[in-house]
Amino acid sequence: MQFLKPILAIVVAYLLIKLGVPFLGSLMHPGTWPVVPSAVMKMYMAFIILGTLLSYTYSEEGYNALIGPIVDVYSNPAKAAIKFGLVFVIGAFGAFVAYQYVKPTFDPPVELRSVHPAPPSSAELWGKSFQIQSLKNPLRDDKANFAKNVEEGGAIFFKNCFYCHGDKLDGKGHFAAGFNPLPANFTDVGTIAQLTESFVFWRVGTGGPGLPGEGTPWISAMPVWHTLLSEEELWKVIMFIYDYTGYAPRVTTEVK
Amino acid sequence: MKGRSMATRFITDKLGRAGLAAFGLILAAALCAPTQARAASGDVQNGAKIYNKRCWWCHGKKGAADGPAATFLVPPPRDFSMGVYKYKTSAPTTPLPRDEDLFNRITNGMPGTGMPAWNDVLSDKDRWDLVAYIKSLTDLFGKEANPPALDFGKKKMGADMVEKGKKAFQDAKCFECHGQAGKGDLTKKLKEDSGIREWPRNLTKPWTFRGGNTPEDIFSRVTNGIPNTQMNSFAAATTGNGKLSEEDRWAVVNYVMSLADDSKKVKDGVTVVKGILRDALPKDENDPAWDTAPSTAYFLVPQIIQKERFFTPTNDGLKVRAFYNAKEVAFQLEWDDRTKSMPGDPVAESIAWDTLTPDAVAVQMPIGTFTGNEKPYFGHGDTSHAVSMLYWSAGTVQAPNAAKLFDYTGSGKREEVDPKTAGFATSASYKDGTWRVMMKRTLTTANKEKVTQLEPGQYIPVAFANWDGSNGEAGSKHTLTTWYWLLLMPPTGSEVVVIPVVVFFALVGGQLAAAALMKKK
Repeated sequence: MQFLKPILAIVVAYLLIKLGVPFLGSLMHPGTWPVVPSAVMKMYMAFIILGTLLSYTYSEEGYNALIGPIVDVYSNPAKAAIKFGLVFVIGAFGAFVAYQYVKPTFDPPVELRSVHPAPPSSAELWGKSFQIQSLKNPLRDDKANFAKNVEEGGAIFFKNCFYCHGDKLDGKGHFAAGFNPLPANFTDVGTIAQLTESFVFWRVGTGGPGLPGEGTPWISAMPVWHTLLSEEELWKVIMFIYDYTGYAPRVTTEVK
Repeated sequence: MKGRSMATRFITDKLGRAGLAAFGLILAAALCAPTQARAASGDVQNGAKIYNKRCWWCHGKKGAADGPAATFLVPPPRDFSMGVYKYKTSAPTTPLPRDEDLFNRITNGMPGTGMPAWNDVLSDKDRWDLVAYIKSLTDLFGKEANPPALDFGKKKMGADMVEKGKKAFQDAKCFECHGQAGKGDLTKKLKEDSGIREWPRNLTKPWTFRGGNTPEDIFSRVTNGIPNTQMNSFAAATTGNGKLSEEDRWAVVNYVMSLADDSKKVKDGVTVVKGILRDALPKDENDPAWDTAPSTAYFLVPQIIQKERFFTPTNDGLKVRAFYNAKEVAFQLEWDDRTKSMPGDPVAESIAWDTLTPDAVAVQMPIGTFTGNEKPYFGHGDTSHAVSMLYWSAGTVQAPNAAKLFDYTGSGKREEVDPKTAGFATSASYKDGTWRVMMKRTLTTANKEKVTQLEPGQYIPVAFANWDGSNGEAGSKHTLTTWYWLLLMPPTGSEVVVIPVVVFFALVGGQLAAAALMKKK
């Protein structure tokens, strides 16, 4: 029985890392199952196996208790059947591991992409130059017409944008699944909620092709909106997406 | 509500009819009573508030289906002022839907349309309040109680019912609109009562069934028809005169479900066309050899990016396979299209509403050798990254099957290349609502700067475009895919077998040697 203890210890440790860690993660972030990366897993297991063997073979008795049964199986003629079975199983297991290493895998290349790349200092739209840093939404000052501007922005959104960005502004419009990257989800805290209106103005106005290289402009399906909408329409639709989702645009304050 | 139909199915399968009868009674008592009360007592004020934030953009401020988005949608949004509903589970004798029908549409949305499922942002109560408000937009409902549910009778599922349904499908002439293979390849012009054009459902794609695809959903459609359209009610006591008995309607449900073709459904994460090495390439697009190649299904979405933008597609998917040998690659492009659009074709001309243009399909890849860094812009490339396009058009009856090879350096900036440069040839055929096109070309070309160079083992970006000539699709008005990948699968080397075998014998030999040593001691 002494012989089974280290094996049991190793199995328990493996299960803790394989299932326990993702389980804890799923409690912290419901709906996720964050597995331990296989490279880290291998490293942990190497240490665990080594450590377990060291601690069990530290004393003479421990060493004998562990090694004794193994020597017995391999050398005792009465246990020849078990021996050949073991020899075969270990050989087959090694072959299986080797196959996992050499078999061809076909995973398409991963395209790394910066979702919100730094905007340029200025951008050219409608043949005019806009300073992105200092740009303000001119319609924000027109408090009297706020509701009217938001509603007009909504009409623009539902004529132009909702096919991809969705009726619910959740990025799941009825054509969204045909694109990669998927259209932005405005209800998510990671999109317009953390951006300034001037950034959104630049992103919408210059579209996919206006992205810098790290934003992989070649795959974005975002149209170049300044060729399709007027400047005022662009500001109105931006007001709408903030109003509908209930987020406030991020503001930059000047440090004096 | 979805849960209810699944539960119903489970009970039917497991417990049989006696159980079903008992379950039905409990179900009726448990569900009808509270839901009726909920719909009747819905807070119209709260419903109006939600409607005015979320719904009017399509359905209009007064429910007349005239919101800003309305004209960009096919099918168009429901006109609540008319009170006519397409998907209802009430008895065929009443034109009114049940409250649950409205609630279910709001809850689950309608696949393939602009109507999303609202259950993630609106609570049960909010959705019932919406039902109450939507009903108030027409005086049709009046003070009438929730109409009774249709009689589902004795549900029967099984292989014999599929055969029976196949015959019923013929008896009731379902094929006139839905096609012999069920792909909606109609033989006559169809329009809704409102005058807009309508397309029969492609029955092989149940994931696009607007009103749901459970047996009960389909039975409701066959029994009630789809009001306001040319899909009639097929309900009758006995089969005959184009109508179907209850048992035959269940048989049709079985047959329709048997038509599902999962290979045309887009699979999550499957984005690579895997080209298989084969010495003899298929001789044409219908060669049985194609069945041995893996297929990849892609969404087709309309070109909504550049002028002229296009919002109202009919074709929704493309299935691709590929083979290659030492010299050439062959693609099989397959898609369901309800019409064989080919100017001069008598059937296509008789169904066409506008000018008939030819159906077409295109395959786009970067020009030259793809280095794996920057891709060309997916819409026709850009000035610094050209793309090569293999283009096939149905042509006309006089001159069918036109193959062309183009280079693009941006939208509208194109140059025609002699197809012979890449040995580009096509063959195509249309059968039972499906186009199949084979495109063949050489892997490499003499002038490497004009055409894509294909190397086995390399991931090459690939994108597709499709035109339905009976839907006004021509030029920039077409459907497309974004960039995906083509991989000509390299042949598996011998090391895949040799290394595991060597490891096996080394381990066996090592253990036997160790055993021999232990014995000596």
